Amino acid sequence: MYRFIQTLLMALFLIAAATPWVRAEEGLRDLVNALGEAKLSNMDEHIEALAKTGDPKVVPILEALGEGNLYARKVDGQVFLTTGSGSKLALTDPVSGESAGEAPKAGLQKVKVNNSVRRAVRTALGSLTLLSQDRNARLKAAKSVLQSPDADALDAIENALAAEKDAEVRALLEQARATTLLVSDRPVEEKKQAVQTLKEWGGGDALSVLSSALGSADEALKSDIEAALVGLEQTQALWAAGQNVWYGLSLGSVLLLAAIGLAITFGVMGIINMAHGEMVMLGAYTTFLVQEVVRNSFPGLFDWSLAIALPLAFLVTGAVGLAMERGVIRFLYGRPLETLLATWGISLILQQSVRTIFGPTNREVGNPSWMSGAFELGGLTITWNRLWIILFALAAFAALLFLLKKTPMGLQMRAVTQNRRMASSMGIRTPWVDALTFALGSGIAGMAGVALSQIDNVSPNLGQGYIIDSFMVVVFGGVGNLWGTLVGAFSLGILNKFLEPYAGAVLGKILVLVLIILFIQKRPRGLFALKGRAVEA
Amino acid sequence: MITLFLVKSLDRTIIIAVAILLALAVLVPALNLLTAPDHPLHVPIYLVSLFGKYLTYALLALALDLVWGFCGILSLGHAAFFALGGYAMGMYLMRQIGARGSYGNPLLPDFMVFLNWKELPWFWYGFDMFWFAALMVVLVPGLLAFVFGWFAFRSRVNGVYLSIITQAMTYALLLAFFRNDMGFGGNNGLTDFKDILGFNIQAAGTRTALFAASALALATSLVITSGIVRSKFGKVLVALRDAESRTRFLGYRVEHMKLFAFTVSAMMAGVAGALYVPQVGIINPGEFAPGNSIEVVIWTAVGGRGTLVGPIIGAILVNGGKSIFTAAFPEFWLFALGGLFVLVTLFLPKGVVGTFQQYLARRRAYCVAARKNEEAELAAAEPTAAE
Amino acid sequence: MTEKKPRSLLYLDGVSVSFDGFKALNSLSFVVEPGELRAIIGPNGAGKTTMMDIITGKTRPDEGEVFFKGGIDLTNKDEAEIAQLGIGRKFQKPTVFESHTVWDNLELALNRSRGVFATLFYRLTGEDKARIEEILSTVRLTARRDDPAADLSHGQKQWLEIGMLLAQEPELLLVDEPVAGMTDAETTETAVLLKEIAKTRSVVVVEHDMGFIRDLGVKVTCLAEGSVLAEGSIDFVSNDAKVIENYLGR
Repeated sequence: MYRFIQTLLMALFLIAAATPWVRAEEGLRDLVNALGEAKLSNMDEHIEALAKTGDPKVVPILEALGEGNLYARKVDGQVFLTTGSGSKLALTDPVSGESAGEAPKAGLQKVKVNNSVRRAVRTALGSLTLLSQDRNARLKAAKSVLQSPDADALDAIENALAAEKDAEVRALLEQARATTLLVSDRPVEEKKQAVQTLKEWGGGDALSVLSSALGSADEALKSDIEAALVGLEQTQALWAAGQNVWYGLSLGSVLLLAAIGLAITFGVMGIINMAHGEMVMLGAYTTFLVQEVVRNSFPGLFDWSLAIALPLAFLVTGAVGLAMERGVIRFLYGRPLETLLATWGISLILQQSVRTIFGPTNREVGNPSWMSGAFELGGLTITWNRLWIILFALAAFAALLFLLKKTPMGLQMRAVTQNRRMASSMGIRTPWVDALTFALGSGIAGMAGVALSQIDNVSPNLGQGYIIDSFMVVVFGGVGNLWGTLVGAFSLGILNKFLEPYAGAVLGKILVLVLIILFIQKRPRGLFALKGRAVEA
Repeated sequence: MITLFLVKSLDRTIIIAVAILLALAVLVPALNLLTAPDHPLHVPIYLVSLFGKYLTYALLALALDLVWGFCGILSLGHAAFFALGGYAMGMYLMRQIGARGSYGNPLLPDFMVFLNWKELPWFWYGFDMFWFAALMVVLVPGLLAFVFGWFAFRSRVNGVYLSIITQAMTYALLLAFFRNDMGFGGNNGLTDFKDILGFNIQAAGTRTALFAASALALATSLVITSGIVRSKFGKVLVALRDAESRTRFLGYRVEHMKLFAFTVSAMMAGVAGALYVPQVGIINPGEFAPGNSIEVVIWTAVGGRGTLVGPIIGAILVNGGKSIFTAAFPEFWLFALGGLFVLVTLFLPKGVVGTFQQYLARRRAYCVAARKNEEAELAAAEPTAAE
Repeated sequence: MTEKKPRSLLYLDGVSVSFDGFKALNSLSFVVEPGELRAIIGPNGAGKTTMMDIITGKTRPDEGEVFFKGGIDLTNKDEAEIAQLGIGRKFQKPTVFESHTVWDNLELALNRSRGVFATLFYRLTGEDKARIEEILSTVRLTARRDDPAADLSHGQKQWLEIGMLLAQEPELLLVDEPVAGMTDAETTETAVLLKEIAKTRSVVVVEHDMGFIRDLGVKVTCLAEGSVLAEGSIDFVSNDAKVIENYLGR
């Protein structure tokens, strides 16, 4: 008994809940069908009635009406949305949005439209979406009216603006109003204000709106628009330059990361390590392996995968570097050209090993959530991964500088590289310092590989792309000078990005190479060269 | 003057090497053309072209040896000079195709028609004439080497710095030649050649002639290089390799000396490239890859830098090994090549020929010493015998 | 001073040069007459080698004048040009061409046309042969003419280098520490050799070995901190109070 009452109540409740929905559905269908019978003269009343429902389903119906795609079936007066052309049309039920089969054109009656109907449709559409309850729908509507300004929508925009509370939508509506105002037949005074609004708004869109308005504007307005345009172009150029600087910094940080290990092995120790790029590559593959393990076993830790990979990459490549130094390079001290050849051989072996183990194709290394996406800063678009890489490169640089200048290990390294015999007679075990310094340089290259795996393809050829650039950075900055490497990396990065718009990416790079070659002629020892007798000895 | 220069250049090793090359130039074509395909001594045509390719590599290695072995300039850009010579020849061969290309344009090579170009770029003018192309084969690499070297040597860029900027040079050229709008066929390079000097490039006769031409070019270059290194100029080169500032303080214009050697070497590399292209049938920007230049260094090092026949032997050994290796175990060729780099620099710094020469010299010294000892013993023994 | 310029062989006035703020030479003035043998002493870092670098064109002075044979300005010429003008230089560390034979070392040093094509088509004349033989006997290396220079002893390398300078026929010879690392007998013989050479040309010797300088018995210039401290006979200079304080010690 109790159960029966419960079921009954529930059924009643369901009916009660469902009824208004059903009723609304039916009401909408009636309103739509009414369109089929309406005359052109009273069409706008019907449109208004439809718009008043505030139902989002009305939007496609009205759009179809405006475009002349609304037909009534002659048999039962049912109104459908249609697509296609020719003798048969595909029908879509306006309320359910479901397909309603096909019908011959002869059996259908087009719902009549003329310009005044179209205007009414547009206004209704604008206000319908601009007044929507859903903030996102309003935002979308505001954006769409902004993109295709139409003088007829101006009233709707102003109505919406009066009611709008949300700051972001408001700002968009203001812009939309100004943009629309310029194409309307409002008085010049209002238009002048609109020009000011647009100027404050700034950006490339305002620029294009104003320059297109310039052609049709009357004399009184022209000077205003021109002045606004000049101001806009200047700020625009400034932001573009700023964006270029940002790209340049980003490229510079990549160069710095790739070169910083080399600044130790080549700059401080004087070893030409052609396998340096492969150390970067090994670091990237370490990241790949770490992510594989994390994905398969500890998916929750994925955001931490890079933090785990960093020390591991340092250890892996450091160990490889140590083995290289002990096994090959130490026999070649004082013969830089031979070192170059031997390390090139090692780079071939490392590349082929990785190719044999992991295959020749690119490996997928994912971005943790905190490294994906972008944000806007004024007129700049800044991606998180680039920002993190710049910060990481600077941090690595600072750490290295600290290590070299402030720790006993760094002191020993500098002592050995400056005067090996003296250092050894003071009790420093020079062979081990050599080995550890080389391992340090290689380890840093591995850490660079972790960072570069985020923005580059992880393939066996990864290192090849960096080796020439990083040598250029070290040579350009001045061998043996860490600060030179920093300045060299960022100035080459920025120079590259400023040449790109004029010369294209490839030609820009060629130009940079040629400039560096010419620069080395002028200052064979780089930007921050040491002078005097000691260097030449 | 010239005769003296040439006579001086011929010592026993060079005479033997030149004789072998000349014999090859006659014998290999003869064995291909005059014997039946099933004859045991028949050399199949693919081998003729393969050996011809090795000879051009040997010429490239010899060119590098002139600057690296004798002058101490480790150029990591010699493949660029090789490729430039190759492109000059390739442009001639492209113009010879004429209206036989897929698009049938009598003037424009296929890739230009494909890119919708309407007229021939100015730098393609003249390449329809063989003499002009042949001139460019030596002039273009020579000019690049001259300009590059003029800047580099004048500002005393030395050692590894020079190596690095030569590498940057070839890298820049690599990027440039990959561009479609450079007018050199972009990524695909120049290929589909039809004939050279009116002869079908695929015909056995042409291919054996190209082999013979490669052998002759190598022999000629060997004599010229030998003349250079045996002249007083060659002694200055070695002197500045070992003690550059001493050479300067003796009054030698070191930069002029280096520039001359570098330019001559680049021209030889250009000739090598020009002979290489018709034998392999293609030239593309890949030839500029920095790795290629470094590979030339290892050929020279394996054979023995600072010896003249060493680089020739090295180039043939390494490339022969490469052909066999890549056919048998393609995966492991890079391991072998990489290992070769390491092992040669560590254990065979003088290369095969250099080590052999050293062994000969030591044995000779030992023989001389032994003979002296013997004489001394005899002298010591005589009185006892007389007693 | 100005009327002195045309007559002197080497004339330095107010020469200064600094490396990264360190003044290696500080307004140095120095004159060598034709046919003079001059010794230069001074503590480490006094600027002796830097002065030679300036004269031979290896380093450019920041300011000051350097003239050779009266009117030839050396500050705008490079090493090769200066060497061809007739200034020879011997380094502190013996520098010879190790992979060449003793003979070739001397042949390369001979004062002949040194251009690319001149050397390419050079032919050893009887005259040149005789000259090389003569120098070989002067530096006592006739027996080792066909040995590579690398096989020579330290003292023999020093002499070979001096022989090369003779072959260069310079009017002014700059010699940096010629007897460092030599035995006493070799030192004495070197002093004799240098005096012999100085008969036909001017020689400037930088040396630490006071005994050797006494053997030479010539005018001495003492440098300190990049300028001239004292100049005169060995006895005069070694008794100078400033020289004792700066260099010789009490």
